Amino acid sequence: MSIRSVATKDFKGARRSRSLWAVATVLGVLTALIGYSFQGYQTTPLESFQQLMRQLVVLVMLLLPIVALVASYMSIAGERESGGIKFLLSVPNTRRDVFLGKLVSRMAIVTVGVVFMFVTAVAGGYARNGVLPLGLVAGVVAMTILYSGTFVSIAVALSAGAAARSRAIAAAFGSYFVLVLLFIVPGLNLSAIIRWVHQTLLGFDRNLDLYNAITYVSPLTAYRQGTNMVFPEALEQRVFQRAQEGGELPAYLAEEVSLLVFAVWLVVPLVLGYLRFKGADLQ
Amino acid sequence: MAAIRTRGLTKEFGDLVAVDDLDLVVEEGEVFGFLGPNGAGKSTTINLLLDFIRPTSGSVEVLGLDAGAEPATIRERVGVLPEGYGFDDPLTGREYLDWAIETRGASDDPDELLSLVGLAGDADRMAKSYSKGMQQRLSLAMALVDDPDMLILDEPTTGLDPNGIQQMRSVIRERAEAGTTVFFSSHILSEVEAVCDRVGVMNEGKLVALDSIEQLRENAGGQATINLECASPPTDLGVETLDGVASTTVEDDTLVVDCLDPSVKVDVVTHAAERTTITDITSETVSLESLFNDLTGGGRDAGEDEQAASGAATDGQEVPQ
Repeated sequence: MSIRSVATKDFKGARRSRSLWAVATVLGVLTALIGYSFQGYQTTPLESFQQLMRQLVVLVMLLLPIVALVASYMSIAGERESGGIKFLLSVPNTRRDVFLGKLVSRMAIVTVGVVFMFVTAVAGGYARNGVLPLGLVAGVVAMTILYSGTFVSIAVALSAGAAARSRAIAAAFGSYFVLVLLFIVPGLNLSAIIRWVHQTLLGFDRNLDLYNAITYVSPLTAYRQGTNMVFPEALEQRVFQRAQEGGELPAYLAEEVSLLVFAVWLVVPLVLGYLRFKGADLQ
Repeated sequence: MAAIRTRGLTKEFGDLVAVDDLDLVVEEGEVFGFLGPNGAGKSTTINLLLDFIRPTSGSVEVLGLDAGAEPATIRERVGVLPEGYGFDDPLTGREYLDWAIETRGASDDPDELLSLVGLAGDADRMAKSYSKGMQQRLSLAMALVDDPDMLILDEPTTGLDPNGIQQMRSVIRERAEAGTTVFFSSHILSEVEAVCDRVGVMNEGKLVALDSIEQLRENAGGQATINLECASPPTDLGVETLDGVASTTVEDDTLVVDCLDPSVKVDVVTHAAERTTITDITSETVSLESLFNDLTGGGRDAGEDEQAASGAATDGQEVPQ
């Protein structure tokens, strides 16, 4: 199968990349230290471990998009710029094989990285607390793989549409700004902007559900809301604003909807990126 | 069935027409040389054949298959030495070759191919660290994998030393004798002359000549020039009265005679030797180079003296000879 031919060559190259090993080592040491040093205030070992996982989610939420984007933004643009794509397409491969092969390889690389980070963090946490809530760990790792996967998908798609390094960099940077920073910078986040336009500019009444729904389109929000599925109730994070304390969220803001958000971000960029790549002049 | 057939093939990049309404047929089993100066549209045509780029209009068929519709099937049967490639993965020469063999599902012996292209001793070095000539050799080895029905080689001798060029030629000849169709481009005429059955000459996106080398030479007219260096100024020798002499000129002690046919040169020498002392003889046939220059209007250098002077450093090695 030709997808495999492209993916194995790419993966082999990545395995030999010193910078990749350096980044993985630094991240692994960092998460191991966090795992070992984190301790809750007046908590049982289990609660302490659960809080550790909560902290990891916050860290990963900001860090992993960068890792995934950096790992993938040159996947196809790099081959186009260097001319490596001439060899990929001189053997019996189609453009679809190249696109999917690169995607599979980069997904695998980033997924291995995520698992490695959690293994080191969990090892540190286990050494400190002596407990290992496997269900929680598995749930968080699964959600994190989905979350990082959306950014790999976005970066590979953008990379397929970029003929040169400069454009690939601009696209990766832009997507971090639009998909991550725009949702967390206080005062300048999408929710605040929408609210200002809706209430101040257009003069509508406050509509929290509308603002919440718009915020939910981001993989970042989906990750925050989605991980609530796997944490015990005491550690659930309040992601959306509610009109009154204890008010029910509408169905479209449920935690499970995050899976749909992830699915859309995994598929739509890939389709668009592939269509662009399919029609491109590669030279 | 033709190995390559283009009909009305046109490729535009913005305002630039890189390939202009090209109709080209290359028969199976042929060794076809694709000539032209830089920027004539040779690589663009090859990139269209390989579906790296898409035509603005017209059609491309390779081995009877539409280039855009069935690229993978075509790539199974065609070995390619592309232009503008890069070995940027951290893989050795042997690993690149192994990858090509594996992807093609072929059973070639990598060592055999490596020694065929003269890379046996360097196979375990990173391909990235190879010189340009060695990378060309590796690319050729990868193109030869699985003994394809056709070889498409884009400027295969670029960066090769004379020994490498010899090796490349003998590989091309060998494969051609075994029935492989070979289509290769070059801006150096002598390379094409040595191995091709037929040549096509491109200039400014158009095919300006398509023939065998012999026929091209013949069409250029059989003109031949002979220079006789004499002991004293060779005036009034009566050479111009001989049959087949087109014109004569005297430059100091040298008599320059243009003949309509190379065989006339002997008569000229005999005639002059009876009347004066000849100290040296030089003879020129109309070279394919001058023919090539005529066809392509001097290539990039024509009427661009200023630019040629400033761009000599970058353009120098690519000027058609």
